[in-house]
Amino acid sequence: MTAPQADGTAEVLATFAVASEPGNERIALRAVATAAADCGLSADQLERLKTAVAEATMNAIEHGNDNRPEVPVEIAVLRTVDAVAVTITDRGGDRAEHGNKEIPDLELKLRGEQRPRGWGLFLVQSMVDDMEVSTHDGLHTVRLTMRTDGPVGPEGDHDAEQL
Amino acid sequence: MQSSCEVTVRRVPDAVVLEMRGDIDSSAAKPLQTAYAETLGAQMAHRVVLDFTAVDYINSTGIAVIVGILAQARAERRVVAASGLSDHYRQIFEITRLSDFIQMYADVDDAIATPTA
Repeated sequence: MTAPQADGTAEVLATFAVASEPGNERIALRAVATAAADCGLSADQLERLKTAVAEATMNAIEHGNDNRPEVPVEIAVLRTVDAVAVTITDRGGDRAEHGNKEIPDLELKLRGEQRPRGWGLFLVQSMVDDMEVSTHDGLHTVRLTMRTDGPVGPEGDHDAEQL
Repeated sequence: MQSSCEVTVRRVPDAVVLEMRGDIDSSAAKPLQTAYAETLGAQMAHRVVLDFTAVDYINSTGIAVIVGILAQARAERRVVAASGLSDHYRQIFEITRLSDFIQMYADVDDAIATPTA
């Protein structure tokens, strides 16, 4: 795989899949943290990316793949010249985004006027610089982007990884 | 899903400390709510301190569990404090506005030492 180019071509740092079982988001966040460790993200950025990946993977497991262990959530970690991106793909097709567009409001939740849950998508969007959602052929992909300050990181020793 | 969250209840003057260990996710609801119920027997437990020092991971479902504890405590006119949060989870408490309703302390000793407002 070539190094990231100025035209936006991304280097694939890692690809892997997790079974759609509750709790497997922790496998995803650890693998992403390892793959993105030398990409020039600050410690704070890396923590935020880990949280976003965990939440997006939870959504993919629960809402995309309906907690069916035999259906994988596929994850790729990419690096461009000025960003790290993570794509998380499930088989949820063109569902409404995670079935919940409600903006969480803590005061409403404390008054019992909104359910206690519903923080996932809000956290994802709050943690990263950009989030894009796309659908294609029954697949649903969330792309999370965290920008770096510019070209950084070691070159050439990140082969695609299959976990 | 089996919970990895363990909660130890510690009584101190005018407060009960819930020392959590492990992960705070949906499976933490039962151990946390059980531990919280023990505070009801403490006559002077006007204050509940949630100690996150030994917590490794909090996700959105864990945030929902904390919201539930906070709602119950407020209904009972108890003050809720949090201690030992990492900078990252402190940021999440700010983003979710939990920090507007939960007093935040660096460690449990600070939380205990601070008089109730």
